[in-house]
Amino acid sequence: MKMFSRGLVSTALIAGVLVVHTSAVAGTIRIGATMRMISENGQKYGQMVADEFDLINKNGGINGNTIELSLLNDECKSDKGVANANKFIHEQKVHLIIGSTCSSVSLPIVDVTAQARVPQIIPHSTNAKITQKGSAWVFRVPVSGRYYAGVNAKYTGENIGTKIAYICAADAASQNDCDAMQDQMRRQFNAEPAYVAQVQEKEVDFRTHMLKIKSANVDGIMIAALAETMSRALLQSYEAGIGKSVRRIGSSSASNAPVPKIAGDAVLGVFYTAAYAAADKRPIAQLFNQMVRDKYGIHAPDHDFSQAYDLVRIVEIALHRANLNLSDGSLAADRTAIRDAIASVDGYRGLASGPISFCAAPTPQCRDGNKTPVLIHYTKGGEEFETEVLARVPMPINFGLE
Amino acid sequence: MLEVRDLQTGYGRIKILDGVNVSVAGGSIVTVLGGNGTGKSTLLKALSGLIPVWDGEILFDGESIANLRPDRIVNRGLIQVTQGKEAYPAMTVEENLMVGAFTRSDKQGIRRDLDKVYDYFPALQERRRQLSGTLSGGEVQMLVIGRGLMANPRMLMLDEPSAALAPQVVLNIFANVYRISQSGVTILLVEQNVRMALLLAGYGYIIRDGRVLIEGPAEELSGDESVKLSYLGGTVASREQMSS
Amino acid sequence: MEALLGFLIFGVTIGVVYGIVALGISLIYTGLDIVHFAHGEIYMFGAFLGLVFAHQYNVPYWLAILCAMIVTGLLGIVIERVFYRRLTRAGGGYTVAGMGMIICGFGMSVVLQNIAFLIWGADAEPFPVNFGMPYQIGEIFLPKSYVATAVAALVLMGGLHVFLKKTKIGLAVRAVAQNKDIAFLMGINVPLMISLIFGVACAIAAAAGVLIGPMQSVQVEMGYLMLMKAFAAAVVGGFGSLPGAILGGLLVGIFENLGAAYISGSHKDIYAFLLLILVLMFRPQGLFGVEAKVKA
Repeated sequence: MKMFSRGLVSTALIAGVLVVHTSAVAGTIRIGATMRMISENGQKYGQMVADEFDLINKNGGINGNTIELSLLNDECKSDKGVANANKFIHEQKVHLIIGSTCSSVSLPIVDVTAQARVPQIIPHSTNAKITQKGSAWVFRVPVSGRYYAGVNAKYTGENIGTKIAYICAADAASQNDCDAMQDQMRRQFNAEPAYVAQVQEKEVDFRTHMLKIKSANVDGIMIAALAETMSRALLQSYEAGIGKSVRRIGSSSASNAPVPKIAGDAVLGVFYTAAYAAADKRPIAQLFNQMVRDKYGIHAPDHDFSQAYDLVRIVEIALHRANLNLSDGSLAADRTAIRDAIASVDGYRGLASGPISFCAAPTPQCRDGNKTPVLIHYTKGGEEFETEVLARVPMPINFGLE
Repeated sequence: MLEVRDLQTGYGRIKILDGVNVSVAGGSIVTVLGGNGTGKSTLLKALSGLIPVWDGEILFDGESIANLRPDRIVNRGLIQVTQGKEAYPAMTVEENLMVGAFTRSDKQGIRRDLDKVYDYFPALQERRRQLSGTLSGGEVQMLVIGRGLMANPRMLMLDEPSAALAPQVVLNIFANVYRISQSGVTILLVEQNVRMALLLAGYGYIIRDGRVLIEGPAEELSGDESVKLSYLGGTVASREQMSS
Repeated sequence: MEALLGFLIFGVTIGVVYGIVALGISLIYTGLDIVHFAHGEIYMFGAFLGLVFAHQYNVPYWLAILCAMIVTGLLGIVIERVFYRRLTRAGGGYTVAGMGMIICGFGMSVVLQNIAFLIWGADAEPFPVNFGMPYQIGEIFLPKSYVATAVAALVLMGGLHVFLKKTKIGLAVRAVAQNKDIAFLMGINVPLMISLIFGVACAIAAAAGVLIGPMQSVQVEMGYLMLMKAFAAAVVGGFGSLPGAILGGLLVGIFENLGAAYISGSHKDIYAFLLLILVLMFRPQGLFGVEAKVKA
């Protein structure tokens, strides 16, 4: 626990715009990024995005052009995210928007970018609706929640049982995860939920629910909540005397580092689907883990980091391909060119659990880049947590859309 | 013992006292008389330090106590006894009395003074474990006087001890005030009950509209037509008209 | 039946913590005539300080509670001296300066939250305390941390009771709380007592924060919900009444757990306020309502 130490760096980040390298060469590609940078993780991956673009500039930029990144914190609040997006579009005249990292923020921004005709690429938001709005301007790097639920449900039904209790927090991502899981359990196993508890986004006391779940004798508990809320629920499930034989299923936030840190040993055996596992044995993943550990002091990067990194690489590829004028009059044309260039990215293989491909149609099939969720479970809790890959599951492209 | 010179004070911007002069000799009983809203209570508050003194001087034993914090004034032995309704209703009788002894640490002295108070007011001893909120009006008046005595005062300032009490209760209280005075405590008695106050006191002041209207020995004042008139209302001018 | 007992245990363990915080709010209300809206943040500061003592300086848990109480108490005294005193009129009075004081409390809550954010960041911090295996009575699990919480709460209440009823300073504190002018006239250093009241109220809030840490982890935003529940507890018990605050806390804790168990588990926080409305409908002064204070 590093108390007192990180205050100043983080405030500098939160306080405002972080401009990377402004020397005027041939032209400037303006990118606006809005992310949740209130937690330690959030500040670090924000920093990583800034550093990676900086590195591209230092290596000669994109076809001689320089990238100018404006990085803002939306604190995972939709009003701030929308304000940031409007600022990017109307004041800073950006060519591309990155963001957000929260579904509840990304969702309204999709409407803003569609109307203003600015390409938007999302590093981390799982809510299935994001790509179902039919916007031609949105791209999602992570795995959509519609795939997560299918994989979670399949594994749960086949290996654990079908009598499942649900604790669903009120934030958009968790609601989505919770509904989708229940829906998939019905579709795949004809199983109704054994118990459903709707709780507040930041609920602190779950013990009554846990006691009721205990007396319901379930096979598993799905806890769909943001990291800190989930950790408390995990801890209190043991306080209420629910034994290890009842498996805990996490929503997508289970991958966030605060979960094993706060929940400690209560995180053992919790499994979840994600787009990246630090336990990934591929060399590229090991190198990435090492880089994040050395540079940002993060013990094991979760998919927030890997997706932010993949996003920068995909943007880099697309910008190289796009034919940009970068004059005052060409803003609209440049925005369209960048959109089309991102849509042309096909079969990118980076840190993500599967290849990332986009295409031109404004449909979830085209705009949900990663279709290969990975099932992960915790084998050790605490700050130095460890995970293991249970399964890597490529999903049919239309899954969850019918 | 107490010298008040040209005292000016008030609340906020409203001036209540406009140059009051009062003098109290050691061992005496002096009374300050006046109707409602004439500034009697304001005078006591200024003497006790509850409100700031705007101008003028307050000397206690020759030293200035104007604008000292109330607890510092108490430490010098000048104690105000508030009106009867102001006991601590949620405390027992004895706890109320012990609040009076807060500044003292001489356990034996406190014990002795407690016995003394119970000697003056036996009713309090009977009810020492009761909440003071359950006492009668006269008993509460006894309680607040007793609480003042527990501070081991050299001078006691009483704020209308007769207010809203039956005549024989008033008599009992005034008799005890006399006993207290006999024990060597100087008394400043603020009253509306002119007849009783002038019977007890040796010297009196009558204040009206923030100034001392008349002063003099008690027996002279009790014969003065204007003393009665100052309670009946009317201005100085009208008083002069009536007497002419 | 066992389930009912379980719900009651949960209700009591969270209820005593509500009660302790409510105790501080009531104490400040009687002593300073202000409704202290930043008390949730004081509680949060206490929890973080407890965490610092327990995990950075490795002091035992019970000592961490004590250290957090002392430091938070001093912090409270500084806040009262530097900020609130200017708003409550000096000398006789200390009456509510209208809305100003309430807004100042809200402002202080924002300031404290941001200071905590700068020092400790927005992440929730775990507060692991190893109490060992829970007691098991039949089918019921009783974590030792709950027992510790209940015992600590009892010790705090008992300590406060003895302090107020049996010591000279406690008598003076009660005198100041009931009527400042008279307290002044009896030679009590009223400003000092007011600082003391505020400090004590903050110290016990800190204890609540450290007690709840292992159960709910520690986070900058933790104060808000606790403040709401503690207010409900204080009002249910009768604002300004100290035994009422504790009873109110227990009632709110039990009521919300039983409500969540037998009515509907969702939106559990409603029950605290439902209880509040019910009590106010039939007993507007609260269960232990004291008569209106005599104001000079």
